[in-house]
Amino acid sequence: MIVDKIKKREKSAKNKKTNVDIPIGKWVKCDKCKEILYKDTVRENLSICPNCGHYFRMHINKRLELIADKDTYKRFDINIETSNPLELEDYPKKIKALKEKTGLEEAVASGTCKINGEPVVICIMDSGFMMGSMGAVVGEKITYAIEQAIKLKYPLIIFTVSGGARMQEGIISLMQMAKTTAALTKLDEAGLLYISILTDPTYGGVTASFATLGDIVLAEPGAMIGFAGQRVISQTIGEALPEGFQTAEFLLEHGFIDKIVERKDLKETIYKLIQLNK
Amino acid sequence: MKQKKRDNGEAIAKSMFEMAKLKVPVIAIVIGEGSSGGALAIGVGNRVLMLENAIYSILSPEGYASILWKDASRSKEAAEKMKLTAKDLYNFGVIDKIIKEPQIDENDMIEKIAQDLKKEIKSTISQMKDKTSEEIVEERYQKFRNIQYFNNI
Ligand SMILES: [Zn+2]
Repeated sequence: MIVDKIKKREKSAKNKKTNVDIPIGKWVKCDKCKEILYKDTVRENLSICPNCGHYFRMHINKRLELIADKDTYKRFDINIETSNPLELEDYPKKIKALKEKTGLEEAVASGTCKINGEPVVICIMDSGFMMGSMGAVVGEKITYAIEQAIKLKYPLIIFTVSGGARMQEGIISLMQMAKTTAALTKLDEAGLLYISILTDPTYGGVTASFATLGDIVLAEPGAMIGFAGQRVISQTIGEALPEGFQTAEFLLEHGFIDKIVERKDLKETIYKLIQLNK
Repeated sequence: MKQKKRDNGEAIAKSMFEMAKLKVPVIAIVIGEGSSGGALAIGVGNRVLMLENAIYSILSPEGYASILWKDASRSKEAAEKMKLTAKDLYNFGVIDKIIKEPQIDENDMIEKIAQDLKKEIKSTISQMKDKTSEEIVEERYQKFRNIQYFNNI
């Protein structure tokens, strides 16, 4: 069946000679329906599986394209790189390799942009960089962005995706939770709007700090959101977890998030929320 | 049940958020094993003190070994790598003072530690009593704001 699909796509792809092997890198498997999909087709569909509707994780640049008005994103001039507080042997090597592979500076990008003409401070995390975990660089960039939002009097928009704290940075990573949270108290006092958008997956120290502190907390459909992993919780309490536990839908039902918004509607929803809060 | 439905991430975030705003001096003291968000949720202090043999870490050494190496039995090795002793944390600037645990008779030791803690708490309060609530909040903010471990490029 997969072979049929590939053949069909091959035929439809322009300038395709028959029986040409398509490089494996052009294909991607959907985690949910296991369908093998042509990457470009998925990309053109807002990184959503055209077969089952499953949301793929988005690269920072794709997310910016989706949310920011064209050519309005200005990266904050904050030039820092990951250090190695625990003096682990392979951590710096891993970071260096990831930078080259992903073209990202770290697990978050931060700057200003416009959303339908409205200026905002925006932070976007990326799961492709150490699973979006929060170390000292992520903590600093988020904190700096919050401080800039206060200075510029702009609303703050943060897209989260994270496995949690950056284990390789030990206690320093943990402290970023307090640091980002404390900065948000200042944003709150300044009366500025903070919208956080939780995308799949958002876990650990990010959930337990800035992700859940939005004035408005949105989530993408089907996103898994939690503090501890499901296996850990179920082992700790010695019980099976309820159906759908830690899904965005479950959390909406229990009042933990405000709204689930489809990817295609995110920009418009954020824009409307900014308008309403003016 | 509520806890189970909601997990406890948001509770930790809210606790830190409220603690960061407190207008009175906050002294947090790590007396045993403090780890992860649960410890930090009550650790946003103007001063963070720590007993000499206490540990304070991102995760228990067992959890750390199981996440990083998929092997919880390597907890001893993890504990050595994690820099979780009072001395490590003092060097990082995460804690402000180490409270000694003298090697004396246990009852005497507890008495001694209690006295030292009392002295520390009193001196912190007296250092801070002339500060305005704004200064107290700002000082606490800067303490965490300045935990910076990265390289400028
Ligand atoms: Zn699918």
